[in-house]
Amino acid sequence: MPYMPDGWTLPQVDDWNRAFFTSGKLMVQHCMDCDRVQHPPEHLCIWCQGMNLDYLEASGKGEVYSYVLPHHPPNEKLLTRVPYNIVLVALEDYPHVRIVGNLIDAEIDEVKIGIPVQVTFEEIVDPNGGPTIQLPQWVRR
Amino acid sequence: MHGTSVVVGVGESTYYRAGRSPESEFQLACIAIRNAVADAGLQLGDVDGFVTYSMDRNDSLRLMTALGTGELSFSAMSWPGGGNISAMPIQIADAAITAGYAKHIVVFRALAQGQFGRFGRPPVAAYASGDQAYKRPYGEASPAMNNAMPWTRYMHDYGVTAEATCNVSLASYAHAQRNPRAIRYGQPLTREDYYNSRWIVYPYRLFDCTQENDGAAAMVLTTPERARELKQTPVYVKSAAAGAAQRAGLQSTYNEPYFPYSRRLHVADRLWSQAGIGPKDVQVAQFYENFTGSTVMCISDMGFAPPDGIEEFLSNGNIQWPNGGLPINTSGANLAEAYIHGFENQLEAVRQVRGQSTCQVENVEFSLAVGGPGAPVGSAALYSKQP
Repeated sequence: MPYMPDGWTLPQVDDWNRAFFTSGKLMVQHCMDCDRVQHPPEHLCIWCQGMNLDYLEASGKGEVYSYVLPHHPPNEKLLTRVPYNIVLVALEDYPHVRIVGNLIDAEIDEVKIGIPVQVTFEEIVDPNGGPTIQLPQWVRR
Repeated sequence: MHGTSVVVGVGESTYYRAGRSPESEFQLACIAIRNAVADAGLQLGDVDGFVTYSMDRNDSLRLMTALGTGELSFSAMSWPGGGNISAMPIQIADAAITAGYAKHIVVFRALAQGQFGRFGRPPVAAYASGDQAYKRPYGEASPAMNNAMPWTRYMHDYGVTAEATCNVSLASYAHAQRNPRAIRYGQPLTREDYYNSRWIVYPYRLFDCTQENDGAAAMVLTTPERARELKQTPVYVKSAAAGAAQRAGLQSTYNEPYFPYSRRLHVADRLWSQAGIGPKDVQVAQFYENFTGSTVMCISDMGFAPPDGIEEFLSNGNIQWPNGGLPINTSGANLAEAYIHGFENQLEAVRQVRGQSTCQVENVEFSLAVGGPGAPVGSAALYSKQP
């Protein structure tokens, strides 16, 4: 079961984030001109302004760089979901890339900075008929 | 720089708890502007420019018509952002007055959240796009959560504790007890109340988070020459700075090179170098508190103490009036006066130079007001007694 409730907000899939949200692999955007990696994806390379961009699969290993623990629901959908965790994961192979997610196998008091984590994916079928999402998520390793 | 423009009038509406205003947002804007113009000793017909921020819904055309101002000579909106750029319209108005594009420019912000909804209660959307696509699906759905992420890491990296945020909150509440305009006037806060308050989003407790309110605040800027004939002692715009660090757009997903900080280092550099003074020369300061962790990082970013010394700087009453070395948020600010998107802090900074604060600091030469930390585009204004 996905970490967030049924009917919760899904990513709007577009040409730039399709690899990240639907491939079932942890994909980071890569510039073929200067060989650098950036996240989130942009329409051009923010380092060399090149427009020859593709996506590389990262190892999926990382560590918790920061986190927050929502207790107060900002809207009614989250009333029964709180408290939960949101983590910021720094990737092992691209340490300057940080990705927001949930540490789905941890209780809120188990979340700490520095925990080694591994990517996993939640399959979420879009009730409105959009592309099926393979949402990158995190478990402890 | 510079001192080529002056603030000659300040005014506000009554400040209300969110949703409690009997006036519409447009009426609140007009009340604040009318009060600021009257405070200056001007007539509404003298006003020929408007500047605001955060896509304020009350546009200059409607305002000039309803208020019966003179011809409109200057009209501008700061971007991008909200409270983070609450000092940016001062920079714009200062530039326009200095250039002679208009004679009397009103800078204002109006919010009626009962009429238009609260920032802290975003509706559930089916989809999130752009940078939000990388956050919303994970339940990162409120400004409190966005602001908490860098603060957790900052505490870890620099050994800062909740004592730092507690002291910021206590200062605002203590100062509000002397300010009859303040929403929290008559509602003192103790250290125990702070620590016993519920979690909103760890590491933020209830009293780390700003109120949301209904109200409006406005000021009038003109040249020092015109100010000589007006009612109030003019307050100089000594320096105003706004902008963002290189590649700051990566901030919204926490991928910026300098994470974690309040995203104000670049603003500080320019503000101080333009003014030719430094943090030690300032007698009083207003720091926007959307969330107190961002405020703590901002006070450090602006040069008042290094990250590993900021908790000590904020302790032992150093930021409380009347005995502290740097009294901050002397009206009660966002937490306890009113959340008018930080513009109430700009007014308080002006009052401190005039000598009209309810927590008046003695011999104010330089008075600082910094726009909302946390978001990547920052702003700050430095006001002074002399040009």
